[in-house]
Amino acid sequence: MLDILFVEAILYQTLKLVPAILLASLGELVAEKSGVVNLGVDGLMLMGAFTAFAVTYVTGNPWLGIVGAIGLSLILGLMFAFFAVSLRVNQVVVGLGLWLFGLGLSDTLFRGFFAIGTTPTVPIIGDISIPFLTSIPVIGRLFFGQNPIVYISILLIPVVAIFLGKTNLGMRITAVGENPRAAETMGVNVYRIRYLAVLIGAAFAGAGGAYYTITLLSTFILNITFGRGFIALAMIYFGKWKPYRILLPLIIFGFVDSLQLGVQTLGVPIKYFFLNMIPYITIVALIPIFGRHAEAPAALMEPYKKGG
Amino acid sequence: MGYNALALAVGIVSGLALVFATGGDLRAASTTLLLSPISSTYSFAEIFVRLTILLIMGLGIALGLRAGVWNVGAEGQYIVGSVMAMIAAMYLTSIPPPLTLVIMMLAGAGGGFLWMIVPAVLKARFGANEIIVTLLLNLVASNFLLYALDGPIRAKGSGGYLISDVLPPELRIPKLIPQTRLGLGVIIALGLVVVFYLLSERTSFGLQVRTIGRNREAARYAGISIPRVVIMTMLLAGATAGLAGAVHVSGVIYALDPGYPSGYGFIAIIVAMLGGTSVIGTAIAAFVMSYFIVGAEAMQSAAGVPFALVYTIEGIILFSLAAGQYLMSRGRS
Repeated sequence: MLDILFVEAILYQTLKLVPAILLASLGELVAEKSGVVNLGVDGLMLMGAFTAFAVTYVTGNPWLGIVGAIGLSLILGLMFAFFAVSLRVNQVVVGLGLWLFGLGLSDTLFRGFFAIGTTPTVPIIGDISIPFLTSIPVIGRLFFGQNPIVYISILLIPVVAIFLGKTNLGMRITAVGENPRAAETMGVNVYRIRYLAVLIGAAFAGAGGAYYTITLLSTFILNITFGRGFIALAMIYFGKWKPYRILLPLIIFGFVDSLQLGVQTLGVPIKYFFLNMIPYITIVALIPIFGRHAEAPAALMEPYKKGG
Repeated sequence: MGYNALALAVGIVSGLALVFATGGDLRAASTTLLLSPISSTYSFAEIFVRLTILLIMGLGIALGLRAGVWNVGAEGQYIVGSVMAMIAAMYLTSIPPPLTLVIMMLAGAGGGFLWMIVPAVLKARFGANEIIVTLLLNLVASNFLLYALDGPIRAKGSGGYLISDVLPPELRIPKLIPQTRLGLGVIIALGLVVVFYLLSERTSFGLQVRTIGRNREAARYAGISIPRVVIMTMLLAGATAGLAGAVHVSGVIYALDPGYPSGYGFIAIIVAMLGGTSVIGTAIAAFVMSYFIVGAEAMQSAAGVPFALVYTIEGIILFSLAAGQYLMSRGRS
């Protein structure tokens, strides 16, 4: 059964699964660079997925759905930042709170407003097609027939890397994450930078969540992300807080994930729940390989008190 | 403590607001939520059925929190614990039932313990964040449950359904109140309160945990091996969550199916926090939370509220708890 079409489908699917986690990971990376961990990424993704669905359902335009998802995530991000930055409370507590909040609210709202009778669906953003290139065997669809968001999200890796490493604002974010006291002495407004970084993270997470409803599934289900927000958090750790280094572990994860999904469709007599475990076990198994000498920002998870 | 009670109230009120916003019957919802737990012996006993699980898990989580460790994997350890207890029951048929029951409890605790070894080692050896690892292992555990239901603990003649055999009467924890689901498991939970109280207040291990939680630097200067204490608290938390699973299967549900885990591992985190991570506080919080859950479940059917709303309320409670922390720290300085 391991024919060329199967290989092609697996490789295509590997890249196709990348954007949701990659977007969430890149955004949260920016937030963590400023010293704030948002464990509620998965909750933001879930709310993003629901909002994208709802907006697309009303407007018929999935791109507006993404805009809506980003908008709502910014509001939730503001709420998170208020607690984590201004009130300086434990980031784990509000992060878990945000996750459960999003997990419950996304499903409650979906059932409350949409799931009456039949399951509603929305138009999705389809894959692109380039004459000749897309029909090249094996690599055609993989590289030239993907979803537009795949290309956008991968292009955002160098964008985020340049933003953090080369721009004034990015360097201030890094400075705040390493040593907020010193950054403040040099005239950086720590609170403002952290708010900004958290909001960037939230916007990316919302867009990542939107990917599920307006490209992969065209509807919403309870816990539609299946905990991928937590995978996104693990990727940052694997990538040692460097944008370019997130991609390799992410592709390994995507490959294992699409392989197990592919094997499920082949009808191989291995039970699906056994296969479902594999991606998560892979992540745990990757920790000793990618997790060595992980250098977190020095002030990660440390609340900061102005002038005190 | 006052702020924590307020946090719970805020969570419940916002939950009711959501019931109203999504078109549920607010009047029916609120009266059911508050009064149904004390409306019959059965419901009242149900409070303690829930308390049993939440308290056993909450004690382990609270101990970890005191050392600054988050066990977000209690849900997974609970599942593994209940499966291990079931396996013990099904394969140890040649020894006397009371002994089997004891072994089932040990198997449950052992399962949770083993499930925690990976996060504990990864944390101590590679500095891996225990929150992420334990959460990932929850996802593995829910699939492990399906695997077990399909294989080792599958009921004979279950057809296409994923269900386990039902425990025979001699392998069930005896009932405390007849005609209810409340059994002697609650005694185990209360016994553990005493054990954890003595462990935290009367042993050097308890002192080490507290020292690490208060000030890591000071703990290091005092010669405390932080990784060792952290690993021990994690493994203890895993064992308690696994035990909770064993107690629940042999004391309340008697058989496993894919739907029985219902997020108690996460609620137990809130219980530990509501209780201010102290042993006695956790016990009180477990009671309050159980009361709320029994009411919420009745409310769900009475007002047509989706189950997921409970997660939202839990999230709001955590936010309110965080706000309470802030107000408390401001009051101090």
